[in-house]
Amino acid sequence: MSHGHDDPTLHPEVQMSTSRGYFLGFAISSVLMLVATFLVTSHSMPPFGLLMVISACAAIAIIAQIYFLLHIDTSEHNIWNAVALVLFMPLFLITIGLTWWMFSQLYLHTMIMPGMPAMVH
Amino acid sequence: MRPPASDVDPKTAELWDRHQHQHDVISTRTLGYFLYLLSDAMLFATLFAAYGVLSYQHSYFGGPTPADFVKPWYTFAQTMALFLSVLAYGFGMNALKNKNKGGVINGLLSAFILGALFLALDIHDMAHLASLGVSVATSGGVSAFVVLTQVHATHIFFGLIWILVMMAQVMTKGFTTEVVGRLLTLRMFWHLQAIIWVFVYVFVYLWGYMS
Repeated sequence: MSHGHDDPTLHPEVQMSTSRGYFLGFAISSVLMLVATFLVTSHSMPPFGLLMVISACAAIAIIAQIYFLLHIDTSEHNIWNAVALVLFMPLFLITIGLTWWMFSQLYLHTMIMPGMPAMVH
Repeated sequence: MRPPASDVDPKTAELWDRHQHQHDVISTRTLGYFLYLLSDAMLFATLFAAYGVLSYQHSYFGGPTPADFVKPWYTFAQTMALFLSVLAYGFGMNALKNKNKGGVINGLLSAFILGALFLALDIHDMAHLASLGVSVATSGGVSAFVVLTQVHATHIFFGLIWILVMMAQVMTKGFTTEVVGRLLTLRMFWHLQAIIWVFVYVFVYLWGYMS
């Protein structure tokens, strides 16, 4: 990883910018957010299917932004950013997922959940 | 004892490389800042978890839920303001590649204006909620909603200040190693706010509106 030090604008993190990449990241995520907003406001799908579709929109938009905007890839220069991000993802998902799961179990066992049949005493 | 045969003359040998071509100041800083940003994302993870457990029907205490006050197209306009701000910053970074100072300033200025538009729309939205009598005190569910969205807005606020500082530094100091490194870390910060916003928009605003 040796590069010119006299001119910081020659650094690979500066040089890897491309207008095309930024525009693609913007266009892909904007279209996906437009689709998600349209589907949610048109009420044309059952809730569970809709949740799956908008989750997929969010996932693809995030991947597009990470790849095109943050330039996280497996190139020599970016590999450590990519490793840090990959190791970070389970922490992020486990923090949200396990907390949500614990509380949903707690609610299930301690109170009547909306939409569930009332408890019989 | 005979010295080991060697071609190296100890009188002239260089014991270390004075040019340090392995040490890359900018990359060291950007990797460190990236790790900091990931820990910032863990802050959002805890807030998303709190919102997840406080978005059940009973969490709203019979009061208003996001389904009553979220306006998806209004928030979509906010989304576009933020995405365009990120795009403008990207074009500014492209100008940096070509050492175009005016292009960098234009990119930063456009990013600032669009980011300020995002923040203004957010503040207007919160003022509208307050006028409806919906506040953090209304219920646990609304609390989690307001805290999560406003922590994101606070990140945008500090990002805007940082953009102004960088405009001043680019104009006064030019493209030094420090300034270029800061432009790169601000780029990561600003892009990460757009990534977090995708989560906030889809899983808090849109999902809240649906349920």
